[in-house]
Amino acid sequence: MSEGTTATVINDTEHVQVTATLGDRWLMQPEAFTALTGWTLKPEGMCRDDVCAPIYRKDDVIAADGQIDLAGAAPVIGLSAVIDTARGVAALAASADARAADMTSLQAPDFTLPDLHGNPVSLHDFDRRKVLLLAWSSW
Amino acid sequence: MWQQLQEELAPQGLAIIAVAIDSDVEALREWAAHAPELTVVVDRDYAVAERYGIVNVPATVWIDESGKIVRPADTAMGDDRFRAFAHVDSSVHHDLLRRWVATGERDLDDATVADLMERPSPELQQARLHRRIAVELHDRGDLDGAREHLGAAEALAPHDWVIRRGSMPMRDVDPFGTEFFSFVEEWAAAGSPGYRLRTGRE
Repeated sequence: MSEGTTATVINDTEHVQVTATLGDRWLMQPEAFTALTGWTLKPEGMCRDDVCAPIYRKDDVIAADGQIDLAGAAPVIGLSAVIDTARGVAALAASADARAADMTSLQAPDFTLPDLHGNPVSLHDFDRRKVLLLAWSSW
Repeated sequence: MWQQLQEELAPQGLAIIAVAIDSDVEALREWAAHAPELTVVVDRDYAVAERYGIVNVPATVWIDESGKIVRPADTAMGDDRFRAFAHVDSSVHHDLLRRWVATGERDLDDATVADLMERPSPELQQARLHRRIAVELHDRGDLDGAREHLGAAEALAPHDWVIRRGSMPMRDVDPFGTEFFSFVEEWAAAGSPGYRLRTGRE
């Protein structure tokens, strides 16, 4: 079994350092994949809580050595992924369909972001107030 | 103006959270120094604004006391500095905001808000992830890697403002230069995607 190297995964909330085997594919041990995504490989598919998503193309998701292919597994669990194995950086977000469903609910997604001093600020800090979210930039 | 609106409306319970889709913290500090009343946060990965369907800056989303989105992403200027270019009278949005904060009265109902939320295409979502990787590589000093991912993002989402214009500083391109103006033409020719509401348009 390959030792793996340290790589970076950028998801919706953080930058995570993971151990992965990087070559033509981005492969992770099942435990590392679960720690990253919250989904666990089981005989019935990828499972989280009471939900299991079936795996139709097993070869795309599970490598011969039993590791999980991040690119193949992402769509199974409703994620969009861009993977740069050469540079050891991957980015994950909800798929377009999952995002669209969230938007239909009109529930404002909670978030925590750093202020200009690095202190965390969350939407829920403003509970029971009206909030104007103002997107801006220096560009 | 946002600073003034925050001062004016804070006693009635409004909080303005300025979410910066940017990785240039020094430039953000300069801007924020002029608006000390605002809560300023940095969304360098464009991971939060994206979830609200925000496709350009400046843009606003209204969230009520129960955590419900009551007005979708909409271009909203702090003042009329760009009026001749954007063809938007900023006071229309400001007056709607004042009325909502004072009385709770909204100009859009839930069904309209849900309809106007900018749902991403699979290609746009992929483009946003390429952008995230580009920001990370740019931070590491891997400018070639950053350019490669920005190029992939632009090919996937050629009419998205954050992808196209927001990447210009990372590529050392002037965000008010010729590349920007040719992008605006392309975007307008494509039917101005992402701008269905445009409150106060003239």
